[in-house]
Amino acid sequence: MLALSSANPTQAPVTRFSAETCCLSINQFHLAYAGKTALRDLTLDVPRHRVTAFIGPSGCGKSTLLRAINRLHDLNESVTHHGQIQLEGQDIHASQMNVTELRRRVGMVFQTPNPFPMSIYENVAFGLRLQGRMPKRKRDDIIEWALTSAALWDEVKDRLHRSAWQLSGGQQQRLVIARTLAVQPDVLLLDEPASALDPISTLKIEELIRNLKSQLTLVLVTHNMQQAARVSDYTAFLQQGELVEYGPTDQVFTNPRLQRTENYITGRMT
Amino acid sequence: MRWLSRPLGTRAMGSLLWPWLCAASVAVSLLMLATLLTLLATRGLGHFWPASLEEVTLHSGETVIGQPVREAPLPNAAGMERLYFTGNRDIDGTRWRWVAIDDIAEKSVPDEIVRLERTPWGDFIGRLSSVERAGERLEGDAAWAFVTTALALPDSQRPEAQLHLTTANGQRVIQPLSGVTLFQTPNAMSWVQKTAAWSQRIWQFLSEGPRAANTGGGVWPAIFGTVLMVILMSVIVTPFGVLAAIYLNEIAHQNRLTRLVRIGVRNLAGVPSIVYGVFGLGVFVYGIGGSIDSWFFEEALPSPTFGTGGLLWASLTLALLTLPVVIVATEEGLARIPDAQREGAVALGATRLEMLTRVVLPMATPAMLTGVILAVARAAGEVAPLMLVGVAKLAPQMPVDGEFPYLHLERKFMHLGYHLFDTAFHGEDVQAAIPLVFATALLLVLIVLVLNLTAIFLRHYLRRQRGNEC
Amino acid sequence: MTPPRLPLSRQPLRLIHDRIATGLITAGGIGVLLAILAIGVFLVWETLPLLAFGDALSLNTLSPLAWGTLKAALAAMLFATPIALGAAMYSALFMSPRLRSRVKPILELMEAIPGVVVGFIAGLLLAPWVERHLASTLLVIVWLPLSAALAGSLWYLASARLRQCLPLSWAGIWLMPWLAMMATLALWLAPLMEQAWFGGDLRRMLDQQYGLDYATRNALIVGIAMGFAVIPSIYSLAEDALADVPANLMEGAQALGASRWQALWKVALPTAGPGVFSAVMIGAGRAVGETMIVLMASGNTALFSASPFEGLRSLSASIAIELPEASPGGITYHLLIFAALALFIFTFLVNTLAEVVRQRLRQRYQRLGGNR
Repeated sequence: MLALSSANPTQAPVTRFSAETCCLSINQFHLAYAGKTALRDLTLDVPRHRVTAFIGPSGCGKSTLLRAINRLHDLNESVTHHGQIQLEGQDIHASQMNVTELRRRVGMVFQTPNPFPMSIYENVAFGLRLQGRMPKRKRDDIIEWALTSAALWDEVKDRLHRSAWQLSGGQQQRLVIARTLAVQPDVLLLDEPASALDPISTLKIEELIRNLKSQLTLVLVTHNMQQAARVSDYTAFLQQGELVEYGPTDQVFTNPRLQRTENYITGRMT
Repeated sequence: MRWLSRPLGTRAMGSLLWPWLCAASVAVSLLMLATLLTLLATRGLGHFWPASLEEVTLHSGETVIGQPVREAPLPNAAGMERLYFTGNRDIDGTRWRWVAIDDIAEKSVPDEIVRLERTPWGDFIGRLSSVERAGERLEGDAAWAFVTTALALPDSQRPEAQLHLTTANGQRVIQPLSGVTLFQTPNAMSWVQKTAAWSQRIWQFLSEGPRAANTGGGVWPAIFGTVLMVILMSVIVTPFGVLAAIYLNEIAHQNRLTRLVRIGVRNLAGVPSIVYGVFGLGVFVYGIGGSIDSWFFEEALPSPTFGTGGLLWASLTLALLTLPVVIVATEEGLARIPDAQREGAVALGATRLEMLTRVVLPMATPAMLTGVILAVARAAGEVAPLMLVGVAKLAPQMPVDGEFPYLHLERKFMHLGYHLFDTAFHGEDVQAAIPLVFATALLLVLIVLVLNLTAIFLRHYLRRQRGNEC
Repeated sequence: MTPPRLPLSRQPLRLIHDRIATGLITAGGIGVLLAILAIGVFLVWETLPLLAFGDALSLNTLSPLAWGTLKAALAAMLFATPIALGAAMYSALFMSPRLRSRVKPILELMEAIPGVVVGFIAGLLLAPWVERHLASTLLVIVWLPLSAALAGSLWYLASARLRQCLPLSWAGIWLMPWLAMMATLALWLAPLMEQAWFGGDLRRMLDQQYGLDYATRNALIVGIAMGFAVIPSIYSLAEDALADVPANLMEGAQALGASRWQALWKVALPTAGPGVFSAVMIGAGRAVGETMIVLMASGNTALFSASPFEGLRSLSASIAIELPEASPGGITYHLLIFAALALFIFTFLVNTLAEVVRQRLRQRYQRLGGNR
């Protein structure tokens, strides 16, 4: 069945970008959990300073792909992979690639907000402290900038030294984004960042995502079709570990090339 | 009354009554626990209360002065007899006197009866007739005034003097003032004075060494030894236990072997403590200690230095014994930390070490503390392994002193639990030592319970904190 | 808004630190696990010379001790199992949740009371008292369950108002004064009964008619004292197993018309059976290895006797008494280490069995969907 679908002649061609506009380039990437394939020969490019959304039914591999870009699978020994992921032309699995430096350049925000059990200030300073000593004034500046970029500064500036766990869910998620922004990544990976939040917090996060693309490249995983349509510039549809369709969001949503994509988007199939 | 109208089989009857038997089991367990604790508290603390002393004249004309202890029936239903604590072991050869109640002709509670605690003979109960100081003889009120002022002074400043005492039978005793540690007239004391004397004696119990073959004095060396051993033990067990837990939970590949090791560690918590004692004796004392002796302390052989039980070996043995407790508690704490926290740290570019030290370990601290406190509580109450690896009946030297290297790891030490066992079962006069054994037992139970309550509180706090996050 | 420039210092040191720390933790962790393993290796190694002695007779000196250990453990389990399981069933399924949250930690605290304290109370207070009041003790043991049943019967007869004041869910507390009263009553009645039925002195009668010796410190005392120490461990584990039975199972049974007790008996107990079994096993493991209580309450006489009124001597107590005096390398030394090995293997096997059973149970609960 899987073999059949990969041999499907109606499979959409992959969108590629020129080297100047391409930030992340994934080439023939294949990943398996304890022998079970999760991603199959994936090839796509993510353009710089744009929001790219990965959509697809749950278990299709979109989160796995996101985690692979951050090399989070390093923590799990049962994961095997081959193929290439390039960040700005560098292979992220190359031996000279420093994994902590890679993770600084590729920030990641998870489904449930995961602020550390520290003060708001310390949460944002966490990544900075890992980068070495710096004058306190400088650090304060960066923290203010990060919180402002995450649209949280006005809400927390009077209680920077209170526990981060006292914030609401939406605030916590924005704090996590601020924490990631503080180390100034090139790419921000968002794994269903709003799925645990109420509608108003979701709107704030979406607005934030749209504002952030002037600074960095964003990759958004979501199961919410409307969200993908609202915030993303490009959309990739994944199914069973394979890329089905990839293109500008307008085109994918209004005029999909494949029946499978249309079925999924219109909700006829999950 | 509906159930009366329905015929009930024995089966249904049982179904109604069984829950009550189960409820009774809870009640019985609680009752037993309450009885035990009340018994310890009353007997342990009551001993220090200055009890009234009775003067009893028998039909035979003999007089007895003493503190009534308890009553028991005479054989063949011949009435009751009463046990008096009379002290004066140096004069009568015993401290106790059974008196049949029917023999008592007269009973009074005179104010002038004194109770002395002396070294080396223990308690004296009788009357003060006069005081002799530098050839001068004080009597009556002057004698009283002199004794009370002299005893208020610290030991070194006390004047030389002789107390002339009279026992119940009129026998005269001369007692040098320097040997007196306590001078009381319990019958003349008011409530306030008694309370003051009571707290003072409790303080003495906690702060002084044992006297008069463990029937008097306190348990300070035992407290000190227990605390020192427990501290050494926690210094050893905490890093290793935490290290092993981190290894098992964060670094080792999670596979069949790790699961097996985990079960093994858990089971070691159920292995009898005496087995650890055997291991400590065989490996630490005879094995390692013996080798150290033959390498470094050859001149002292054949008398062993490290090749015999001592503080270090006891601490090591108990550390091994409590290792599973710390590992299990820490591992539970680590497992409770959501992976999201770890991934959050790693995704920001932290190395595994940074992730562990900055996020995971601070969050697991209450769990680790819980584990260490439980380990300390277990070690404080454990006696069996210590009997093999280094506890002493009466340690002549404290393991810490002003002599280099200050902390003498090879010395034997005293331990509250073992002191209790030894005094209760191997003492010369167990009857006289029992009140102090009760006090020791109460102290031990209090220490262990307070430690456990702290652990429970910490764990509760930990769960609540974790609850907030969800 | 342009970001302030981030001064990025490359730190290859961080990675090296990480490697070193990981190595150290691994070494430490494996070292600790090896040290723990060393216990078993040491015991086996030190037992091997026994084979060289080739003296099968010497093992015979251990058999009364093994018998004593089993007898003491059996007595303790006979006393502890019914009480602990009864208490577990009551507090898991009948007790009000508020009371349960208080009573459970208190009962678990019982486990923390040092064995040496329990042994002291048993050996120096309980033993002489029971010797003087043997008939009363036995009467109380029989009388208390009866009086609990009596309380239950009276409760069903009582008015609805009284029943509301004294609900079954709080019976664990308000039965305490009732039972204390009943125990006092039994103590008061016992001498009269002894007079009427046993010729005034039960002990003398046992001696004359059945030839039973009575030792002050005997298996009965050990049973009560060690039972007291074992109750909390059995209770705690069995209660966990019972309380974790998925609520929907119990509700299903009750919806079909079963009484709460029937639901407990027919549904909860069979489901939680393995957990309850492992609780009893762990209790038995503890009873076999306990040293101080047996040492202080048993009289330490190595006898082959089934009488509950005679003394005994256990393996653990022998080790505690004799090993410090045994010269290393001598046959006694190796024999005692063999005894320790026997205790080690026994408790290890029992605990492993219990742990495996418990893990199976946990999986079963997860399958049943009751992940509380």
